[in-house]
Order: sequence, then structure tokens, then C-alpha cells
Amino acid sequence: MSAGGPGGEAHGGVAPGKMIAFGVLGGLIGIYAAHFLSIINPAFSFIGALGAICAIVWGADAVRRVCSYGLGTGVPSIGMIALGMGVIASLFGLAVGGIAGPIVALIAASIIGLVIGLLANKVLGMNIPIMEKSMVEIGGAGALAIVGLSTTMAGTFMFDEVLALVVAPGYIAVIFIAGGMGILHPFNACLGPDEEQDRTLAVAFEKGGIAMIIAGIVSMVVSTTAAIPTIMIGAFIWYISFAKFYELTKRDAYKVLGTGLLPTEEELQ
Amino acid sequence: MIDIAGILMENISYVLLITLGGMLISFSVHFVPVGGAPAAMAQATGIGTGTVQLAAGAGLTGLITAGTVMQVSDSLPLIIAAGAVGAMIMMSVTMIVGTWVYVYGVGVPPASAKVKYDPITKDRQDLYVSQGTEGHGLPTVSYVSGVIGGLLGGGGGALVYYALMSAGLDTGIAMANLVGLASVFAVGIFFVNAVIPSYNIGGTIEGFHDPKFKKWPKAVFSSLIATFMCALVAVLTIGGL
Repeated sequence: MSAGGPGGEAHGGVAPGKMIAFGVLGGLIGIYAAHFLSIINPAFSFIGALGAICAIVWGADAVRRVCSYGLGTGVPSIGMIALGMGVIASLFGLAVGGIAGPIVALIAASIIGLVIGLLANKVLGMNIPIMEKSMVEIGGAGALAIVGLSTTMAGTFMFDEVLALVVAPGYIAVIFIAGGMGILHPFNACLGPDEEQDRTLAVAFEKGGIAMIIAGIVSMVVSTTAAIPTIMIGAFIWYISFAKFYELTKRDAYKVLGTGLLPTEEELQ
Repeated sequence: MIDIAGILMENISYVLLITLGGMLISFSVHFVPVGGAPAAMAQATGIGTGTVQLAAGAGLTGLITAGTVMQVSDSLPLIIAAGAVGAMIMMSVTMIVGTWVYVYGVGVPPASAKVKYDPITKDRQDLYVSQGTEGHGLPTVSYVSGVIGGLLGGGGGALVYYALMSAGLDTGIAMANLVGLASVFAVGIFFVNAVIPSYNIGGTIEGFHDPKFKKWPKAVFSSLIATFMCALVAVLTIGGL
């Protein structure tokens, strides 16, 4: 319900608490595992992108819950604010946090999210009951997605490497849009009265797979050993989730019919 | 651990400049005639896309022009002017091409449904609004308003970028890294300040003649708080290197 009237609470599917645990724990475990296992073998850096996918799916679910109320503006705006908050918080977290960087980034993003959520409800008068909570979740998911994809690209989340390998060459812009797409696109594509959580989140996994493939291509700069598993696993996740999305679309559709190819010019005469 | 109080005291003027820039961006969004999906179908006045996309398009062009000028000059007024002109050109081009599409493609005259007479040209508006629509195309007042929006938004974005770059110049960080970091923070702050006013106006506005324009103090106040926090975080990161 992007530009339509006010909607209501999103129903059905996995409970929000489980999604939060999935995103936070999955994201942090993925990022730390990628960081420490990459020291043993750079090939393990793909785990960071798996963490980012957990965060993206969590973010897409939070967007789904808050946007069901109808924001009055398009769904993409909330994905862009997620990544805007996320990129500020994640660079801050990595710069000051050292080994605790991803956790500091998550906390900083949550605080910025809480303030923006409070401003949106109290000052701008949006009056969405779950606005504050959702903004905290969306900011945190954005930050973890950025840190996760950066870790895969650089092989570590230490700030100096991330700065030199991800921020300075501009790959951070790719992360910004790929991560933002993962968070904002699923609900934007699936919204409507027949929206189902599993179908929306299948799109989130699919977008996460694309982001992972892109992160893998970038990590080729650092090491080919890291790039190949990342691209392969990303492509695998993309295929599985896209097949799942297609299956769920057929399940939710009233009827799926083949229209055949377009008629040729002679047939139209 | 970094010396938080020391860095903040040293860079407090930059924090204030960034906050001012964020408030300018937030204010500028209220000038940009944006109609969202209805405008894309020529059923509402304004450009047919979302506020955030439009503000970001103009603002990022402003960042590019400001960054280019910053390589050859460190004069603040010149950098702000460069950012403002870049964003104004981007807005103007978007609006003129949009107008061609509406007039020659869709076949509707530019008309506002919010006012009876265009405040600038004094042309009658309501006669030209198609039934069942909220106006269409970009009447002169919306066009002028959009250019003012580009001026303020581009200037605000340039101010943010200038402050972030200046905060990092004394730290001895490599130039490529500083430019990357300052641009990313500027983009992040720009998006936050583009979304806040977009929620304030509910996604669509015709320009400064629209009744919704009067709501701007709420968004600018929200941006003051939100940008101040982002500015603290950004300056701590850049100044602490």
C-alpha cells in the first residue's frame, strides 16, 4: 500500500521476534565467522554475505510490517533511510569499535533509528504504532547488511582494510544500492491484499543472493580464493529462492496461464 | 579508545555546518514538485517519481559539482554555489523533459489543482485540469519552485560535504580515503534528510504554493535533531582517524 490509504497490521507468518533473532544473531555470527575464519583461509569470507542475507531478510520483514500501515509515500523511501542510517552507523562502528565494530554499528544504527522513529511519530505525526520499533529494526538491519557485505568484499571488518578496499574505490555505493534493494524491494514488489510473508521473504533471499554475487565479484580484487565460493554460493541461493518465489507465486495466484508467443505480423493480418 | 570530547570540541563548527546543511536539504524537499505514482500517470501535478529519488538525484549531482570545485578551490561560498548550480541544472533538466513528455507525449496541459491562478504568471488553472485528476504536468510556479528546491538542496549537500572534508583534512588521512568517506557520509545524511520531509508531506507536493508547504517547520525541526546525531557520529569517525 505504497501511495494508497491507511492499511492495517501485517498478519501471518513467522513472528517478529523470531525474525529479529534470525537477523541479529545470523548477521553477527556470519560477520564474526567470516572475519576470523578468513585469517585461516580467505575462502571463508563468503560467510559474511550469508550474515548480510540474514540481516536483509530481517530488514525486509520489518519493512513489510511497517509499510502495511501505509506510509503515504513509496516503500523505497524506507529502504533508502535504512541504508542511510546504516551506512553512517556502520562506518562509525567499524572506525571506533575495533573488534567490537559490528556490535557498535548495530547499536549506533538502532539509536539513530529510534530517534528518527520517535520524530516521525511525535513531530511529523505519522501515528504508526510500530514506527519506533520498526525504525530500530530497519536501521540495525541496514547496518548489518553493509558490514556483512563489506566483510565479504575485504575479507575482514577492520576499518583500515574496509576503508581502502571498499569505501575509497566506491564499492560502498554498490553495497548501498544492492543492500537497499534487498530491504525495500521485496515488499514493494509483493504488496497488496494478497501479500504473504513467505512469498515476500523469498524475494528478500533472492535479492540477498544477487548482493552476494556482486560482493563476490568485488572480492576478486582481494583474492580469487574468496571470490569463487562467494559467487557460486550466491548464485545457488539466488536460484533456490527464485524457484521458491515462482512456486509461491503460482500457489497464491488464482490461475496461471501461458499466453503463448506474440502473434507474428502475418497472423495479425 | 579515541578522545571523544577532544575531537568534538575541535570540530564543533563542522558539526553545526553539517546540521545546517541537513536542515537546508530537508527544507528544499518541500519546494520540489513531486507527484509520485499518480503524477507518473498524469493524474497529479508534479514529476512522476518519489520525493527521495528526485531529491537524491538532484543532491548527488550537486555533490559531484561541489566535489569537482573543491579540488581547485577551498572557498566555501564557491563550493556551495557549485553544489547549488549542479542541483539546479539537474532539477531543471528533469522538469523540462518531464514537461515535454506530459505535453507532447501524454497530451495534457500543465495545470495545478491546488490554486485557481498561477501565482507567478496569473494564468487560470482550474479550467485546464482534467476531470478526476489532481492536475497534471508542471505549471510555471511548480517549475520555479523546483529550481529553488535544487538551489537549497544542492547548497545544503555541498555544505555537508565541505564540512566533512574539512574535518578530515588535518588528520593526515590519504586523500582517496577521505573523499570516499566524506562522500558516503554525505550521501547517508542526504538520504535521511530526504526521507524525513517526504514523510512530512505524505509523498506528494506541488511546490511552495501548495497548502502542505506550511508544514515545513516540523520536518526541518526533525532534521535538526536527526542530522545533529548523524553529524556527531560522522565527525567522530572522520576526526578520530
